[in-house]
Amino acid sequence: MPKPSKGARLGGGPAHERLLLNNLAAALFEHKSITTTFTKAKRLQPVAERYVTFAKRGDLAARRRMLGVITDKGIVHELFTEIAPQVAERNGGYTRITKIGNRKGDNAPMAVIELVLEPVTPKKKAAKPAAEKAAAPVAEETVEVVAEETPVVAEETTEVVAEEAAAEETK
Amino acid sequence: MAVPKRKMSRSNTNSRRSQWKAQAPALVKTVENGKVTYSLPHQAKVVTDSAGTPLFLEYKGRKVADV
Repeated sequence: MPKPSKGARLGGGPAHERLLLNNLAAALFEHKSITTTFTKAKRLQPVAERYVTFAKRGDLAARRRMLGVITDKGIVHELFTEIAPQVAERNGGYTRITKIGNRKGDNAPMAVIELVLEPVTPKKKAAKPAAEKAAAPVAEETVEVVAEETPVVAEETTEVVAEEAAAEETK
Repeated sequence: MAVPKRKMSRSNTNSRRSQWKAQAPALVKTVENGKVTYSLPHQAKVVTDSAGTPLFLEYKGRKVADV
């Protein structure tokens, strides 16, 4: 369930906000990516994702509910037949918000909200490769250290022996 | 209409104004091709061509919007 939004409604009142968010959702489903203020994008996100969930359900009842909030039949059709199959594999997170800086006129923070229509790429488990990486260099280092130390010791001993031999010869 | 009874002194004016302070933005330092750049965190950056003409906005290697 979407988290209830804090603060005043967008627009003039609850009804105005509802209409505003539904219109923004319709524009998002039509164009796949829209630029709006950051506040509106954040408010739109749970609404739009809920509508995508309805579209994924795909039955007649869901379609009629969507026609109640998005008045354009063409956009509802596109939502059910084009967008829903593309996000069928995705478990939530159907939209992405990116901040793009402040608007020139009134310095309002702007954002791009877009539908995430790329195919899902499952995240690889990060714990296992990290552990292997950590283990492998340590093992190599110990081997190298041992390898380096042994010849040095051997050389030193031979040198010492040679020196001793030379000293004995001089005597 | 309610109006001030007394003229505000220069001292009081200056005391009030002394509280106007600019805050330095928290910037992110990045090094690209040996060039250090500072940018705002979590915000799309403008990609420019060699002549410095802005092309589009990019965030995390993804084209976000036109300029």
